[in-house]
Amino acid sequence: MVKIKNAALAYKTLNGLICVYKPSCVSVRQVQHTILTNLCRDLNELPDRPLEKRVEIVGATNAPMEVKLLPNYADDPLVCGPRYIEKDFRCSWATHLGLFSSGILLLGINDGTKLTYQLNVARLTRAFKVHGQLGKATDTYFWNGRTMERSTFGHVTRDKIDRIVAHMQAAHQKSMYEVSGLHIDSQTTYDLASQGLIRPANSKLPVVYGIKCVHFDPPNFTLEVQSVNEYEKYLWTLIHDLGVQLKTSAHCTGVQCIRHGKFDLQLALLRKHWKLEHIVDNMDDCRQLLEENENLLRPKTAKLTV
Amino acid sequence: MCSIKRNMSHLFRSLLVYNTNIKIRKNISNVVLANSQTEVNSGERKTVTEPLNQDVSDITPYFPDTFNLAAYANKSETLQSLLQLQVNLSKIEKKPHIVNKILKMDFEKDMKQNIFFIKDYIGSENIGKYITKNPLILCEPIDDLQVRINYLQSKKFSNFQINEIVTKNPFWLMFSTERIDKRLGYFQNKFNLIGNEVRELATKQPKLITYSIQHINTNTFVVKEEMGFNEDETKKLLLNTPKIWMINQKSLLERFNYLHNIIKIPHDTLLHCPHVLLCRNFKVKQRHMFLESLGRAQYDPNKENYIPLKALIEKTDSEFCKIYAKCNIHDFNTFLKTL
Repeated sequence: MVKIKNAALAYKTLNGLICVYKPSCVSVRQVQHTILTNLCRDLNELPDRPLEKRVEIVGATNAPMEVKLLPNYADDPLVCGPRYIEKDFRCSWATHLGLFSSGILLLGINDGTKLTYQLNVARLTRAFKVHGQLGKATDTYFWNGRTMERSTFGHVTRDKIDRIVAHMQAAHQKSMYEVSGLHIDSQTTYDLASQGLIRPANSKLPVVYGIKCVHFDPPNFTLEVQSVNEYEKYLWTLIHDLGVQLKTSAHCTGVQCIRHGKFDLQLALLRKHWKLEHIVDNMDDCRQLLEENENLLRPKTAKLTV
Repeated sequence: MCSIKRNMSHLFRSLLVYNTNIKIRKNISNVVLANSQTEVNSGERKTVTEPLNQDVSDITPYFPDTFNLAAYANKSETLQSLLQLQVNLSKIEKKPHIVNKILKMDFEKDMKQNIFFIKDYIGSENIGKYITKNPLILCEPIDDLQVRINYLQSKKFSNFQINEIVTKNPFWLMFSTERIDKRLGYFQNKFNLIGNEVRELATKQPKLITYSIQHINTNTFVVKEEMGFNEDETKKLLLNTPKIWMINQKSLLERFNYLHNIIKIPHDTLLHCPHVLLCRNFKVKQRHMFLESLGRAQYDPNKENYIPLKALIEKTDSEFCKIYAKCNIHDFNTFLKTL
């Protein structure tokens, strides 16, 4: 752990990307706000620079005047307010995470905002754990919605879920070619497609690359979804559709982002660790990871990596 | 060189009469007028480059409206003395109407008496914090303050209690004796308190007495009707943790709902440890879920492997893991990343 000597140095090092664990039911903006206020609090507690002096020239103007060096009261933190306030920081997220989702969130602080933009444009895949429950359908497709339908789910087995999930994955992969921005009959498309999966050209349509059922304990089950451009509600509908195809009904009970590009849960900072020293450490780790994997920021081809 | 220039501008600014902006403008216009008259009369000076033999140090440049007190801090001795008392002027300046009042006052003449008066009750080390919280105390007539203290003495508050009340609630002395009397009476009637209990409550949480009555009414409703505590239990709760009446009713109900309906903790256990209701819900939630995943969430004192309710709120996470969960803090952190 780095020892931080004074506030000005610490502020200068706060340029980069951090990886935090967003709890559910806390909005991304709130996460940003908490982190920035915590940073300001910790920076203001660090040893401050010495107070400025002030030159004053006193006396009658028609006689020799006296030059004095006096303490500048206007520079006292008690008068001009704390040295660091929230407005001194710029902060942006790489990809949005919905209110009810939890998991990895990449935030850029100060110069790191450029990195978040690049990460967003690079369209990295995110892996989600989507928890669902069989037997009930709601109007929002999430557990907090109004119940619209109840049904039995005794006939659902692991085999059936696996089969339908594989079918869904195949259907989604077909749409991958459509949103890749390439002409479907061209040689380029063939060359790219023969190498593997392709990234989408824009951020408009969600593309799902893989769905897998990782846990099945009726009525609860968990899907692991690898995708780009997805959003919270899209993942909820995925569960709902699965329920319909299983000839029963299902709703989502939780969404958790477990990987974003190469950033995984091990790197993520928990809510209790959103403090200056942990954030500085985390920033170093993220910088190292970005240096090791240059294609995260500037991918060379439309081929899906990571 | 540059810095001297900047400081020179500071100097001109600080030469000003700082009482009110309107006054300053008047002064300047007067001075300038007088000056031009002398110039016309003498008729000696033709250009600005010629040296001037008069003393013009009392002339000050135009001082525009300012947004903060820092502009006045270097010249005003009143502000400097307040600063020496560790008053946070940057917090006071958020309320312009108070600043207007403070700037018109003189430390020696108007403030000193009040400061000495409150110093007797709050101790010299708390003066800065006190004035930061409630700068208007300096504008209050000293007789009124004395009457309000006398009122407390007449109600048989001990000297220690009065000190506690004044220190913990900087706004108490701003309330007239009628209002305080009405409020103390309100609490006495509403919760059936006896004299000693009222005094105890006022000493324990003096902010509650001056809190918004409407807020207290809603929270009483939440505690009695929505949470289902009876009269006696409510009274006990009030005397134990008066802060419950000062938190947001929605979050209060959310916390109670989680503890009572999900963890299944009965009312009387909650009464023994009412502080859980003051802890943010996510903290209780994550510790409870962790204990549950370990199979240790057993809060009944009559059964084995009992875990006290206060384990959910007290101590740091590492201590909690060591004492109650009997595992490594690392496991707890990994668990938190699955939520």
